[in-house]
Amino acid sequence: MSPPRLTGALRSFSNVSKKEDLDDQVYDIKSKRVKRQELFARQGLTWQKVVQFCTQHRDKAQQLTTSQDLKNILVAARQIVGAENGQEAIESAAVFLFETFHNKDHVGTEETRAIKQMFGPFSASAAEASCAAVAQIVSTLGESLVEDFVHAHSSSRNLQRGTAFGRNIAFSYDSYTLDQLDLPWAASLEDEVGLDF
Amino acid sequence: MACAIVPLDEQQVTEPSVVGKDRTLPALHPDRKEERCFVPYKPPPEDGSPAQVEEFLEHAKFITEDLEWLLALPHDKFWCQVVFDETLQKCLDSYLRHASRGLDPAGLPCSPAVADVQRCIHRAVFMTFLRMATHKESKENFLTPTVFGEIIYENFLFDIPKILDLCVLFGKGNTQLLHKMIENIFTQQPGYYSDLDETVPSVLQVFDTILDKCGLQCEGAGTMEPLKLNAYGRPTTMTMSQQDLLDLVLYLCDSTTTIHAFLDIYPPACSTFQSHSFLSRLVSFYESAVPDIEKAVRKRNFTDKSLKEDLWKRMCHSCKRMVEVAHLLLQHSCLQPILEGGENIQTFAEELLQHFTSFLPEKRFLSDYDEQFPIADDISLLQQALPLIDETRTSYLLQGVQSAWDSVGRRRPQGHLKTQ
Repeated sequence: MSPPRLTGALRSFSNVSKKEDLDDQVYDIKSKRVKRQELFARQGLTWQKVVQFCTQHRDKAQQLTTSQDLKNILVAARQIVGAENGQEAIESAAVFLFETFHNKDHVGTEETRAIKQMFGPFSASAAEASCAAVAQIVSTLGESLVEDFVHAHSSSRNLQRGTAFGRNIAFSYDSYTLDQLDLPWAASLEDEVGLDF
Repeated sequence: MACAIVPLDEQQVTEPSVVGKDRTLPALHPDRKEERCFVPYKPPPEDGSPAQVEEFLEHAKFITEDLEWLLALPHDKFWCQVVFDETLQKCLDSYLRHASRGLDPAGLPCSPAVADVQRCIHRAVFMTFLRMATHKESKENFLTPTVFGEIIYENFLFDIPKILDLCVLFGKGNTQLLHKMIENIFTQQPGYYSDLDETVPSVLQVFDTILDKCGLQCEGAGTMEPLKLNAYGRPTTMTMSQQDLLDLVLYLCDSTTTIHAFLDIYPPACSTFQSHSFLSRLVSFYESAVPDIEKAVRKRNFTDKSLKEDLWKRMCHSCKRMVEVAHLLLQHSCLQPILEGGENIQTFAEELLQHFTSFLPEKRFLSDYDEQFPIADDISLLQQALPLIDETRTSYLLQGVQSAWDSVGRRRPQGHLKTQ
């Protein structure tokens, strides 16, 4: 809990702030994850594009193996998002897994965190399986080809971080702290008579 | 993308609608905001399990990601989000309310990952407020100043408690940026001066509340009122629980630091504070509360000795801030105009002398003030600016200062004696 604050009192006792509406919806982690999934599904890559990309660069004989790898990714995606979610949500999750693992050879901390942030707690075996399937596809298509494909379609390119407001503004992280003061009374502390009842 | 050179509030945009047909609508329109769903900020768990820390990190990552996305939006989209997305405002507000100030009691040291994400949020929140306080971002991207003033005020993008929070959270090291922000906010929307005027009595009420909790007579309360039946049995600083005493000192420490940060960053607010006789109320509060709380901290037994030291440090810090606030108020309402010269110099000099005279009975405050800001220096300045100033009066004042030092039983610093 935050310590008592002047501004807390001012918010409560003056009429210059917006009064809190307790009925207003506040988003928790679960609803935020759902919203992120929706946003992810609306932008960048689609599963159809991934399938098309993976199959068009393979001859007919190799396509069977690739199809199996793609299927494995979908199965893992279903396990991660839950079978109760529709095909659209599962395909979107599969795209997410493809993007996450396209340049990774194992499920590291970063990837685990990314998947958990998007879908919540998940089965490690599903993540391992999807990582292995993506790695299989990348090894046959070539890393640079896949990298170019993902980069061209990835949702992260929409962020345009380079143009963000404030990037050239110097910011200080300093904060007000307690003054370092001498404690002149400390020496006589032992002599004080306690009056705490 | 909206067209250029016209202020954003006058621009129209054509966008495809849900039914497929193009439609034209104002560039600032609720339909143009994204359903992003910002989550409110929660401070890191104090002694949390790894799972709680992990949950905090996840939560914090959502906030940084969303704010970075917001800051990367083009001007028109940014303002649509800021004006129409309530979840964003709740997120920013929650940070101002709950973010740890440097003065808060130190919890356990946090992991590097937690510290990193906290820094990211800290910067992103500041940049978001900075962008919201900027009506002209570039030649092409701007709002009509009066419309900007209306937008920030009507939508509570800024209010006085938020401005105070911004000062205490970001003021150290970002003074110039914050000054510019607040100056722009108050200039484009003078309604904030009225709000500040309305807020100062609540600030004074906080002092009365502290006095009340100490079991001391409130300065503002009518002394002729009969005492409540339970008044004699009420706790004092000596008898209240340790936790209550700690809360009281934390409250005082936060309040004085916040007021000081605000007035230091935005001195034009001094006149609004002074229109409520803030200085005399502050001085009177100081004289009543400080010795009482100090005595309790000195004399009470604490189960944890470090708590006693911490409370004492906080009291010293609070005293210093209050004295500095008093000096800021005198500086900007009297001393500065005297230094600048001008027609009313005599009036300001008279006002300054009256303030100093009113300090004379408040001996503890006077000696503490004189220690930090020697009154003899200001008197000397007055004598230079106004050679005909009444010497009997100034001598009387300086004797009063010496008498204050004597009565509190402290020795005056050597340098102060020489200046007389």
